[in-house]
Amino acid sequence: MTHWGKIGTIATFEFFTAVKRPGYLITTFGMPVFMALYAGVVAIPAYFASRADRVPSVYGVVDQGRVLNLQKEVTAGKPEMPAEIKRALEASGQSAAMAEAFVQSRVVFRPFASEPEARRALAGRTIKGYFVVPPDYVAAGIIDIYTPDTLSIAGSQDRNIFAGVVRDGLLKGRVDDRTKARVVDPLKETRRYSVTRTGDLTDGGQAANVIRIVVPLLFLVLFLMSVLMTSGYLMQGTAVEKENKVVEVLLASANPDEILTGKLLGLGAAGLLQIVVWLLILFVGGIGIVPLIIASRVEMPWVALALALPLFIIGFLFFGSLMLGTGSLGSNMREAQQLAMVWSLTAALPMMMMSVLLREPHGVVARAMTWIPFSSAALIMFRASTDLDALPWWEIAGAMTVLIASTWLAIRVGARLFRIGLLSASRPKLSEVLRQARLAD
Amino acid sequence: MIVLSFLDIVKSYGSTMALRGVSFDVHAGEIFGLLGPNGAGKSTLIRILMDIIRPDSGEVRVFGEVRRRHHLDRLGYLPEERGLYKKLTVIDVMTYFGALKGLSRQEAKRRSAEWLERVELPQVATWKIDRLSKGMSQKVQIAAALLSDPELCVLDEPTSGLDPVNVRLVQQLLIDRRRNGRTTILSTHQMNQVEALCDRVAMIHQGRLMVYGDVDEVRRGHSRPEVRVQVRGTLPSVAGVTTVADDGDGLWRLMLPEGTAPSELLVRLIHAGAVIDRFEPMLAPMEDIFLQVVREARPEQVTA
Repeated sequence: MTHWGKIGTIATFEFFTAVKRPGYLITTFGMPVFMALYAGVVAIPAYFASRADRVPSVYGVVDQGRVLNLQKEVTAGKPEMPAEIKRALEASGQSAAMAEAFVQSRVVFRPFASEPEARRALAGRTIKGYFVVPPDYVAAGIIDIYTPDTLSIAGSQDRNIFAGVVRDGLLKGRVDDRTKARVVDPLKETRRYSVTRTGDLTDGGQAANVIRIVVPLLFLVLFLMSVLMTSGYLMQGTAVEKENKVVEVLLASANPDEILTGKLLGLGAAGLLQIVVWLLILFVGGIGIVPLIIASRVEMPWVALALALPLFIIGFLFFGSLMLGTGSLGSNMREAQQLAMVWSLTAALPMMMMSVLLREPHGVVARAMTWIPFSSAALIMFRASTDLDALPWWEIAGAMTVLIASTWLAIRVGARLFRIGLLSASRPKLSEVLRQARLAD
Repeated sequence: MIVLSFLDIVKSYGSTMALRGVSFDVHAGEIFGLLGPNGAGKSTLIRILMDIIRPDSGEVRVFGEVRRRHHLDRLGYLPEERGLYKKLTVIDVMTYFGALKGLSRQEAKRRSAEWLERVELPQVATWKIDRLSKGMSQKVQIAAALLSDPELCVLDEPTSGLDPVNVRLVQQLLIDRRRNGRTTILSTHQMNQVEALCDRVAMIHQGRLMVYGDVDEVRRGHSRPEVRVQVRGTLPSVAGVTTVADDGDGLWRLMLPEGTAPSELLVRLIHAGAVIDRFEPMLAPMEDIFLQVVREARPEQVTA
């Protein structure tokens, strides 16, 4: 019979022992600081690059093929940001700030009468390079590019801009301006609509799709991080108890089921707290994007979000008990991690299968994985988030029942392994594990 | 009243038989010595009592019932291989162990402080465990095992590594428990402690119960019929004595035939006119009994 008071005592002890550890505090509060620093390190060069982008790059053009017919300098820019995002920015009142951040870089194309003239300009570094359009360009499609004898990383982007200028030149006078504009940029703006199974129209914009993918992905990443980190704490704690010879006192006061469940709940709560802290920091740090989300008219997958916490806890108990049970058979931390590795890989399976799942969120693979306890938590989240109508309620209920039953079984199996592991100084043989497991009834 | 019964306990590890049908009782309010050489099966028996391992067959009864998990709150345990959480404070560890035995956190903390006083270590309450000396750590663990005031407590070598002052302190704790009607099972190799503290003993060897009973009775049962007598003047000649040895200063050792009670000799000596200052039937030391049992036991095939 399980004694919940003892589970509570063990859980409380494990929770407070874990959260007072310097390693825990460093990870919990240090990770956001580290991420901020990392973002800073990435942002600084990007900032200088964007500043550099504001200064136009000047390229020479020698039009021997008379394709462009440039009479004067022509200024061209990079493709604009998608209209949908632009609209959302405007609606959230952040267009000015974002426009500043996504400032368009400009390229100036300066005509030269001859190749030697352009070469002199390049040698004098008054231009960044020059394009020569040969007389047989239309037939051959070859353009010569001349660049300085130093590394230039901006070349490929600028080449694409030049391609637009060439397209423009090729069409000039041959088709009307509107047709020319469509040929140059055939998908200037798109309007997307989604049709539900009942025939209704919903917002089908990119932002809506992104949220539908982001929610289960975020769930999976946090779930994996939590399982891996917390199981690390679990195995570390168990290794310490074996090393310190405290296990006999524990086993003389509580049964292995109670110890295992108490540890899982206590350290699981510590792991969950860590994630809550990170999410809070992320939320506070990213508070500015909330109006953007609202303005994007994104439909939040509320059912998936409501299922997230129970699925997270059940899934965590399932993997945690298996990892702790298997890990406790190891004679030291390294061996424990090796033994528990198989469960880490199994937990990561939905992530590895993501490309298949994204193609067919309710296909055969996704449906099968929904019923497999190793992946059902992630798959219920994923399918409920992408298209709730395609996930019947009986499938959610059935898969969760299977998951809960498997979790109960995993705790029982984990507890037996845990008892055997705790009392073994070295890694026990499989035959001994099976024999002891039978005796544990 | 019987508080603990082992009934035909059998346990094997693979092909090695650890216990071969061990049965005995422990009475309420006694200090019971569990003796035996290393590897005899004592620790296995204790682990079975504490439900850490399960027997292959046999039954454990405590407080008149088949032992169940809920009985563990009434049992205390100081294992032979023991330790504490090194990075935590003494009071936190003791409070945790007390709470695991069913005490509320506040009560466990209060009793922990009280027990630290009793083992003369009140100053270490806020110390981290790894700051304690070996002796201090040992006393903290004894206190942790006793702080829930268990009705039955198993202490495996509680005084090993302690100095004589602390040995005396621990012995006094056990005597106090007996006075309060609490039962203690003392597993030890220190036979002088057994003689000084234990009311009854069980000795296990090669997984079998070899000796069991009241300490004096056991000692008497294993003693040769020998009496030490101190008389004034000459020892008178009396019938029924097989050997006489003069130890000097009026001290004599008299060997009696098997089955002769020392009291019969006393009567004969008085009738013979001896002025007796001391009359002491000799009891075999527990250490001799221990050695005798181990030596006389046939080396057995220990595999099943």
